[in-house]
Amino acid sequence: MDVSKLMAIMISMVFINNFILSKFLGLCSFIGVSKETKPAVSMGLAVTFVTTMSSIITWLIYRYLLIPFNMTYLRTISFILVIASFVQLVEMVVRKASPGLYRVFGIYLPLITVNCAVLGVAVLNSETFFQNGHTIAGSFLMSAAQGFFAGIGYLLAMLLMSGIRERLELIDVPRSLKDVPLAFIIASLMSLAFMGFNGFSR
Amino acid sequence: MADKLTVGTSPHIHGRELTSKVMWSVFLVLAPAGLAGVWIFGIPALKVILVSTLTCVVTEALIQKLTRKKIIIGDGSAALTGLLLAYNLSSSVPLWMPIIGGVFAMAICKHAFGGLGANIFNPALAARAFLLASWPKHMTEFINPALVHNGWVKLFSADTVTSATPLVMLKEGKVQSLAGLGLSYWDLFLGKRGGCIGEVCILALLIGAAYLLWKKYIWWQTPTGFILALGGLSWIFGQNGFFKGDFLFSILSGGLILGSFFMATDYVTSPLTRRGQLLFGISCGAIAFVIRRFGGYPEGVSYSILIMNAAVPLIDRYVRQKRYGVK
Amino acid sequence: MKSLIKEFTKGIAIENPTFGLVLGLCPTLAVSTSLINAIGMGVAATFVLLGSNIIISAVRRLIPAQIRIPCFIVIIATFVTINELMMKAFFPALNQALGIFVPLIVVNCIVLGRAEAFACKRPVLDSIFDALGMGVGFTLALCIIAAVREVLGAGTFLGFGLVKGFEPITVFILAPGALLTMGILIGIVNYWHIKLKTSKEITKAGCDGCK
Repeated sequence: MDVSKLMAIMISMVFINNFILSKFLGLCSFIGVSKETKPAVSMGLAVTFVTTMSSIITWLIYRYLLIPFNMTYLRTISFILVIASFVQLVEMVVRKASPGLYRVFGIYLPLITVNCAVLGVAVLNSETFFQNGHTIAGSFLMSAAQGFFAGIGYLLAMLLMSGIRERLELIDVPRSLKDVPLAFIIASLMSLAFMGFNGFSR
Repeated sequence: MADKLTVGTSPHIHGRELTSKVMWSVFLVLAPAGLAGVWIFGIPALKVILVSTLTCVVTEALIQKLTRKKIIIGDGSAALTGLLLAYNLSSSVPLWMPIIGGVFAMAICKHAFGGLGANIFNPALAARAFLLASWPKHMTEFINPALVHNGWVKLFSADTVTSATPLVMLKEGKVQSLAGLGLSYWDLFLGKRGGCIGEVCILALLIGAAYLLWKKYIWWQTPTGFILALGGLSWIFGQNGFFKGDFLFSILSGGLILGSFFMATDYVTSPLTRRGQLLFGISCGAIAFVIRRFGGYPEGVSYSILIMNAAVPLIDRYVRQKRYGVK
Repeated sequence: MKSLIKEFTKGIAIENPTFGLVLGLCPTLAVSTSLINAIGMGVAATFVLLGSNIIISAVRRLIPAQIRIPCFIVIIATFVTINELMMKAFFPALNQALGIFVPLIVVNCIVLGRAEAFACKRPVLDSIFDALGMGVGFTLALCIIAAVREVLGAGTFLGFGLVKGFEPITVFILAPGALLTMGILIGIVNYWHIKLKTSKEITKAGCDGCK
């Protein structure tokens, strides 16, 4: 597991294959929660945490449960169950242990269970880092990194988007484009700008 | 009436200069670069410039008429966008491309956001990115100026022999040095190379930029940060080893001068404070370098500006002027 | 009978999952690069919607309220898995084209949203018509988006070339084009709502409606 592979995953997940801007994963929450910066950043942090942790957990499940017992067809159902119960657990723990942290990002946790980005990265991991039931070398770390940087990419898009939408709040935009349609158009232009990173080598 | 009750975006304090005066000044100082482009690439370049400018003005007038707003095409901002869009295109593009680009720039990038002063992304650059994503073949074919300049006759002929820009050839590894291209720095400075219409003649661009700086229409922070960051990084991480990159070549060979002086300094889509502008410029330079060096595209200047446009609201929020007397 | 027709038609028009409630955006934008993919995704989602609505509505009195969401998810995930295996067996090409969005139907807010908002409160027959209406509405919306994108971005319709000499605006089958198409289409829907004064403009989107 060398640094260059890690860098490649980072650049790919944050800039080239940004989950929101080029893969449309997590788009619902991206459009829904990005009206103000503070909640947007909290949501981004929560998503980053959950994608990282669920990448790790689903890797363990896939590697030590589904593959040995030849049950990979249960991938979807087991992943979503594990993720849902994990998120629920974290929410309960955070609420009890740290009310401050809970206010910052705990309240967004329940929303994340059905966030496509979380299940998306888990499924993506199982497809890229396992080949016909064999584990690729270093796949555990790479899965975790892929989960983490997918979250960072989400956070970056969230941060930029919320800044823009807060500024547009004061502007007299055409009425039929207000809010949601304009958010799509902004996302489209951002995605156009991020196309500049296409075709990265090395 | 409703117009008068709406609060515009900041800054609310402004000098006596009218928008239209600034816009037309920028338009005029850009003219030499366009003339040089026409001289270098021939009449097709003039056609692209005219079509693009006209499309933008007509589209803006139509939108303002349809939405029953006051028609303010006289302020020159639409014409300027059209001009800048044309400057970012190759002279050999089919003429329907500046039309589509102009409509996209005006309708989607400007008026969907609420018109003048409200857009987040530079309309001309967004339109260029749109066209590049759609028709990469047309967008990366450039007329070879050497062929055009075999005589006056060539100026009026529709010769379609094409060549790549110096940056493309460098990227593809075809040449290692400037000499390999058969060009000198002086050629690059005057614009005897393949490229977009408005970006090639550095001399004409610098004259215009000097006037804008002298009149304080633009500030030095953005262009300086941009140029030093891109040139410096290209020098430090040279193709042939550390501190062996070609500083001058990296500055003269692409769209950096046009981008840094005339597009990254656009009032609407760049930060308000001087420190913010410096940060904006340096970040643009760094991103442009990364794209040029590692990305799939040979030139990253326009993309870097677009990406940083998205970050401008955040820069404006976090890089503020210190209040007097507050530590 | 009349009420059943109402349950069916509401999903197609006024409560259209895409253009009315703005749900299930990720697959909508990701698979609408061509009309064939859109139809495939629409049918797959309708199948899952129908199956989960029937089962949830049938066992609705057995599910304790506190853990209803996990129960719904298990039921939905079961149908998603059935769908996944069937697609792999019978439509491998389509399965390849839709990629990870086939398993991701499980987190499509439309399915969970209908379970929570409708199927867990209403009898089976109503739920069937609700699912069919929502499914058809989703498929239609997908087809509209896909038609725009395929015609502009590839110059074809259902794979057949349209106009000779038309150079397609490739960006429309790429990510920016998807977002742009969606933005403009919702804008048109909103314009229409404003014109008719229906006060049903789309001002918010996303899954917070169905958590």
